[in-house]
Amino acid sequence: MSEPLLKVKNLKTYFTSRHSQVKAVDGVDFVVGKGRVLGIVGESGSGKSMTSLSIMGLVPGPQGKIVEGEILLEDMDLVKLSDKQMENVRGNLVSMIFQEPMTALNPVLTIGEQISEMLIKHRSMRKSEAMAKAIEMLRSVGFARAEQIVKEYPHQLSGGMRQRAMIAMAMSCEPKLLIADEPTTALDVTIQAQVLELMKDLRDRTGTSVVLITHDLGVIAEMADDMIVMYGGQVVESGTADDVFEVTLHPYTKALLASIPVIDEERDRLYAIPGTVPSAANFPVGCRFADRCSLVETRCRETMPELQEVRTGHWVRCHLVTK
Amino acid sequence: MATYIIRRLLGLIPTLFVITVIGFLMMHAMPGNAFEALVFNPKIKNGAALYHRLLAQNGLDQSLPVQYIHWIGNILQGNFGISYNYQQPVSQLIGTYLPNTLLLAVTAEILILIISIPIGLYQARKVNGPFDVSFSFIAVLLYSIPGFVFALFLLFIFSFSLGWLPSQGTISASGANAGSFLDHLQHLLLPALALALPSLAGYTRLTRGYTLQIIVADFVRTAKAKGLGSKRIMFRHIFRNAIIPLVTQFGFDIGGLFGGAILIEQIFTWPGMGELSLNATLNRDYPLILATTLLFAVMVLIGNLIADILLAASDPRIRLN
Repeated sequence: MSEPLLKVKNLKTYFTSRHSQVKAVDGVDFVVGKGRVLGIVGESGSGKSMTSLSIMGLVPGPQGKIVEGEILLEDMDLVKLSDKQMENVRGNLVSMIFQEPMTALNPVLTIGEQISEMLIKHRSMRKSEAMAKAIEMLRSVGFARAEQIVKEYPHQLSGGMRQRAMIAMAMSCEPKLLIADEPTTALDVTIQAQVLELMKDLRDRTGTSVVLITHDLGVIAEMADDMIVMYGGQVVESGTADDVFEVTLHPYTKALLASIPVIDEERDRLYAIPGTVPSAANFPVGCRFADRCSLVETRCRETMPELQEVRTGHWVRCHLVTK
Repeated sequence: MATYIIRRLLGLIPTLFVITVIGFLMMHAMPGNAFEALVFNPKIKNGAALYHRLLAQNGLDQSLPVQYIHWIGNILQGNFGISYNYQQPVSQLIGTYLPNTLLLAVTAEILILIISIPIGLYQARKVNGPFDVSFSFIAVLLYSIPGFVFALFLLFIFSFSLGWLPSQGTISASGANAGSFLDHLQHLLLPALALALPSLAGYTRLTRGYTLQIIVADFVRTAKAKGLGSKRIMFRHIFRNAIIPLVTQFGFDIGGLFGGAILIEQIFTWPGMGELSLNATLNRDYPLILATTLLFAVMVLIGNLIADILLAASDPRIRLN
């Protein structure tokens, strides 16, 4: 593993209202190495998006709050920074691209204005300089007619083009870390491949670390060096992507893999994991996957398993999996 | 953009034509005319003969289609006729009265915008805070009260009880500063406020509502993720989008404000289009009725046109399609 860039330690992000406490992220640890791609997989409600928003300091307040833990970017704890200091981190050191390219860009500002305003803020560029840089960035993400694209509005671009423009924007200040929250989910399959290829290419060229959030294991297999599997606001399995795919240990990860349809195999019904993710307002005492696990035992319901290093660099949270 | 405006202007012509026909027919459907009273006036000898002479003189003895064509023909040559009642050219009368109404309406428009938008934005920013909750209550209260009721309250409080501001007219007849800018302003304040208050309250609600819709948009999250400051996000990203439905509504309301001015002008004896059109209608002053009706219609159409232009100017999705 390369030198670490981002260390998340025991991160807990809760949503507290008068009546309930929703533990969206409940004690998550992971490390992103310099120049590495970390994939975070999980179902809706597993806490993967909230983990990324916690890193960005964009947890929707006032109910949502990071209640515990550290997010160390090199040696700086992002949790302790003031709002003003966080502004200089966001878009500058850490930037983010979102799932919906259709709605994630401002409809009334040109692509050029939206890219250049970041450069003006973080790099103190003059408007003309920033616009020239925006054109350069657009060209680097594959726009042949970048000079025109800067003058166009989001509605004039297709979904794939918008996502590439988003990536150009996110990369414009050469961030150390790029967080991509389901960057390809809303795109056509052919465009998905292009966008993933582009992100890989950018990573190779710039050495930016990437946190890639997805529910698509195929995307992880394609892109990620390391991966973590999240369930119920916790990490249930983590390791290098190769390790996790080759020697899958956690019953949840196994079930996820089993639910991917295989093209040369005839099946009448696709496999689905029975049941649903437990409510984050009301987690069981024991293992959070217990109710849906085919191997469940009594101890699973009584005590919460710890995340243990079962093989070198391969961590699993399950009573049934030991060294 | 220029071709768009020209196309829209040409589109107004059929609408205007229909309005003139309806206005003309409705006016003639009113019982009586401007000269009928002469017949029964005991001081006039041979009233009936005079009556018929006047009818013929003003072309009223001809059939309605002929009268209509005659009128339209004159208007196209810029001749609006002579008012029966004022015995002056209609265009000259409008030239005297219209500026007063424009002054009143434009002042009201400015008051509405500069007061309601900042309040609405601030409410949205501190949503459900004490200011938002209390002003929401006040706004609904103000919005529910018609402008002429405000006019009476304002007159009672500021003119009769406190004596701070004049109660009628556009300038003082005598006094040290009669006719000065300040004098004009003092006379303008109460009627403009009475005209503006209900809309003003409505616009704070609209500004607040549209802003709250935009605040939760994905692109606002993107703007935050870019590390932009909260002021830039508020104005460049949120307000820039929230203003689109607001300016459109504003354009549509311009015509409404002119209509609303009629009552307010009566209360403050403000010599504007309201007084002119009301007198014209009561006196069956046909040339003046037609001209003022046409003018109000044109105001509404111009308002709609302004709404369309502002919409296109503020929203590239409309402008570029």
